[in-house]
Amino acid sequence: MSGPVLSLKGVSVNRGEAPIVHDVSLDVEAGTVTVVLGANGAGKTTLMDGIAGLAKATSGTIQLGGTAMERLPVYKRAQAGLGYVEQARTVFRTLTVEQNLLVSRSGAGDLETVYGLFPELDKRRGLQAGHLSGGEQQMLVLGRALISDPKVVLIDEMSLGLAPVVVRRLMHAVKDLVGLGIAVLLIEQFANLALEVGANAYVLRKGRVVFDGPCDELRGDGERLHEFYFGAVPAGAGAEAGGENR
Amino acid sequence: MVNSVIAGLTGGGVYALLGLCVVLTYRLVAVVNFAMAAVGAMGAFVMVSLMDAGLGVWLALLAGVISGGALSALLGAVLVRWFGDHDERTKAAVTVALYVALMAIGLRLFGSTTTGARRFPRPFDAPAFTVGDVVVPQSVLVSLAFAVLITVGVGMLLNRTSVGLRLQALSERPATAQVVGIAAPRLAVAVWAAIGAISALVILLVAPRLGGDFSTLGKLITTALAVAMVGAFRSLPMTLAGGLLMGCLEGFTASLGAVQQYRGVVPFLVIVVLLWWRSRHEVWDTAHSR
Repeated sequence: MSGPVLSLKGVSVNRGEAPIVHDVSLDVEAGTVTVVLGANGAGKTTLMDGIAGLAKATSGTIQLGGTAMERLPVYKRAQAGLGYVEQARTVFRTLTVEQNLLVSRSGAGDLETVYGLFPELDKRRGLQAGHLSGGEQQMLVLGRALISDPKVVLIDEMSLGLAPVVVRRLMHAVKDLVGLGIAVLLIEQFANLALEVGANAYVLRKGRVVFDGPCDELRGDGERLHEFYFGAVPAGAGAEAGGENR
Repeated sequence: MVNSVIAGLTGGGVYALLGLCVVLTYRLVAVVNFAMAAVGAMGAFVMVSLMDAGLGVWLALLAGVISGGALSALLGAVLVRWFGDHDERTKAAVTVALYVALMAIGLRLFGSTTTGARRFPRPFDAPAFTVGDVVVPQSVLVSLAFAVLITVGVGMLLNRTSVGLRLQALSERPATAQVVGIAAPRLAVAVWAAIGAISALVILLVAPRLGGDFSTLGKLITTALAVAMVGAFRSLPMTLAGGLLMGCLEGFTASLGAVQQYRGVVPFLVIVVLLWWRSRHEVWDTAHSR
């Protein structure tokens, strides 16, 4: 590892005019998965949108490979190496699988690497993306991020609405991305699953970082995770934050 | 009556072109552009004004087309910069506001129906052939060829080039298009510029036939929208067919003595009938919540 490829210092992000994320600092190392956890409404997606440029960062700095991002428009951040897998499965529905990939291709990104990672897509190259299953659409969005030759991929709740077996398949693909040397910043509702693949974790509560450390410290410790999510720990509530997701 | 229909068909090519401009704007930048004909008319009147001032026809044509493109690009830039996150209705409302403003400015600068008719160049006025008693001028063939060229050319551009793929991505998911690295604002403004330039050319083609005053030309947006509705704001071939149909209908009504003076109502009737036809199987709530 050679230092953070993505670094946030004191970043605050608004959604419209409402301040949602406050003074967040985090680092994402190359070739690792960094996990962002938190209850619904904690500000995780707003943080991701702020990094990608879809929401307004009102203060702080965002550096990608040493280059300041915070004043760049969305597409320039993407061209600089920031891949973003948004929460909804944002395929271009009327384009074919291959056209979805070609429209995002940049630098050293190539189709065969994506098809190697997702053989399911290889079989459906000519099919309109709108006709793919939910899992395949999510694979396509991941593949689209990969073919853009990214330094970092932001992944926001890719398991939303998908069967557990598909989620495991996608998590496996995330590990493959990391194997290619790409850094991943992952938001995931299934906390334990995310902590399995992650190296470092940040927990957000009400838009502020309340935990910052190795995933090992949280792995299997539902009670502690619950405390970070909601504050006080009611008796026997530990399973809610991290459980039911294996 | 047949002669009238054939005569009406001669205007159909131009109507098709106008409809294609509306459909292209909607497909590529997701805006129903009510200002399209007024922008084109501005470009056309810049051309004739420069010609009246002594500029050569080709230079004046170039200036007119560039003016139409630049004005449209300016509108596109405003929509991208300040209304990028707004819904289609808001963007359409902005173009309505601009339409009203351009009509007021145009009437002030170039005069009204009675005072502002200009002599537009008529390079394609020579007869091409005769059908029955109707002499079909070259301008009909030119406008039809132009419409077919746009229909086929845009289809090929969208499906067979990387720019076309980006344009399709932009029209479907503007925010995601930027997330994957497409320079969406620049591409959108380029689309607006191209459509403004084409609109100016189309208005130049139709102006000699319709009398050449700013008001009449700016109001052609009604016909353009009716034609675009035939293609459901998506299909270029259907829009082309819609333009020809509109021309035939107009010719047909012109042949009926009693209703001849009301033939301007035809686009309105086409819009109403299409709206009714497309929503006939929908329950009230669905039809009205769209």
